[in-house]
Amino acid sequence: MSKILMKGNEAIGEGAIRAGCRHFFGYPITPQSELPHYLAKRMPEIGGVFLQAESEVSAINMVYGAAGAGMRVMTSSSSPGLSLMQEGISYLVGAELPCVIVNIMRGGPGLGNIAPAQSDYFQSTKGGGHGDYKLITLAPESVQEIIDLMAKAFDLGDQYRTPVMLLGDGILGQMMEPVELGEIQEVKQAAKPWAATGMRGRGKPNIINSLYIDPEDCENINKKLFAKYAQIAAKEQMWEEYQLEGAEIVLTAYGTAARICKSAVDKARAKGIKAGLIRPITLWPFPGSVIARAAETAKCFLTVEMSMGQMVEDVRLAVNGTCPVYFYGRTGGVVPLVSDVLAEIEKLVDGGDRE
Amino acid sequence: MELVPRPVTIFTGNLGSGKTEIAINFALNLLRQQQKVSLVDLDIINPYFRTRLARDCLAGAGLNVVCPTAELANADVPALSPAIRGALQVEDGYCVCDVGGDDVGAVALGRFKPYLPTGRFNFYFVVNACRPLTGTVEDIHKMLHSIEKSAHLKATALVNNTNLGAETDAQVVLNGEKVVRQAADKLGLPVAFTAARREIVPRLRKEGLHKILPLDFYMLPPWKRE
Repeated sequence: MSKILMKGNEAIGEGAIRAGCRHFFGYPITPQSELPHYLAKRMPEIGGVFLQAESEVSAINMVYGAAGAGMRVMTSSSSPGLSLMQEGISYLVGAELPCVIVNIMRGGPGLGNIAPAQSDYFQSTKGGGHGDYKLITLAPESVQEIIDLMAKAFDLGDQYRTPVMLLGDGILGQMMEPVELGEIQEVKQAAKPWAATGMRGRGKPNIINSLYIDPEDCENINKKLFAKYAQIAAKEQMWEEYQLEGAEIVLTAYGTAARICKSAVDKARAKGIKAGLIRPITLWPFPGSVIARAAETAKCFLTVEMSMGQMVEDVRLAVNGTCPVYFYGRTGGVVPLVSDVLAEIEKLVDGGDRE
Repeated sequence: MELVPRPVTIFTGNLGSGKTEIAINFALNLLRQQQKVSLVDLDIINPYFRTRLARDCLAGAGLNVVCPTAELANADVPALSPAIRGALQVEDGYCVCDVGGDDVGAVALGRFKPYLPTGRFNFYFVVNACRPLTGTVEDIHKMLHSIEKSAHLKATALVNNTNLGAETDAQVVLNGEKVVRQAADKLGLPVAFTAARREIVPRLRKEGLHKILPLDFYMLPPWKRE
């Protein structure tokens, strides 16, 4: 099978189709509009449903309906659109409905701009809607990894009956890279005996709901969710180690920032500086275990984000005071340069610890 | 590449076919033959990787870059510069237009039809046969017709820009050349030239390709920028 050249946004769409997703509800917003654009063409070709909702609020509630009926379903948006969807996401969590939600982040807060950013990390991983919950959050760094993670996203959602977020910045959505798609294969999907698909001889109807009037019932649901989260945290952490062998300065970054850090690590290594990178692929569950391990031998950490510093808080929790954790970020749509990151690395070498 | 161009050269194609890089390189190539060359950013749909991002660098090389300026440069609105009409009607120089992708991008071109009489322009349809939606002769024809319809103009030639980004080798370009030639033959149109990254051009010449536009890249992702 030969490779083709795809845009990140197109790859999210094609990856979803190959993962067995046949239902998409969304509303266009830059910089992810190529995704609904692609699926508007592609879904009818394979007998799927593409529906442009009248708003993001509407789209996420359509997702609730399709997920309740046991369908593999997806929606996508960019930062402000995700803010609108938060109530619906909380309802999906409360009703334990699997689905995939894509956020191709842009500069904020507010209307912000259409440039790339990573400032929705808190919103995605810490429960952006109301109530006690976590969201599995996957952060690809390349177009090929998007294709691979889309299948993973739908599988995790079904396995744990939970919404899953695919989080990338505008550059990931807009950039083009070669990908190997392989043949379209029949997707094995887990049975969904809980889905509202008609009685078919059952005595008791399946009810999809997130209303728990009795406080003790509601507490029990929370306990059930957190037992599930404990399992996910134990089993599903994903990360990549880059030049970590013997690294004294350990960078942590995800998505586009990680691509920039890899270039900076290469340049640092060429200068004889022992730098390496841990790239979280699951932002929740956060791969704290590998970070804690690296902290035992590292001199210090440097977290690089396209935000004012959000993931850095999770890095600090994982490092737990073993060594200093520094931060470098650009935000509001500004992307850090490789040379800027390299300069930050060099600061940590020259004076030992920065202060 | 030696060129015998018409006053206006228009590049269209599907989203991600490589129009912007080709338009930039084509305009710089013309600049070696002619002092007055305008590069017009007609892309109203692509939010990133647009000509306007390389404006300072290209203006420094001597190109007259016509694109939305100041606060409109980053706006998510289909803004077009009023200077476009002047650039299209130029009498002592050349104008190169970079049009947005697909039929939706080509809409921006339709309104300029009164300034584009037959014979004054070349309308090049750029094909990357490694892209979804333009991998086969049928798909290329479908895409071309939808763009012509939106642009209210007919293509005068095809351009082969088959590539896999950083993984492009000569074989990728040659495979694309076959498909693009077949598509062009069936339409009774020529293939104006083949575009390829500079490093592989000598290899392509050995394989018998002669009309080649060597490409240097201006729209790099941040981790490849210096």
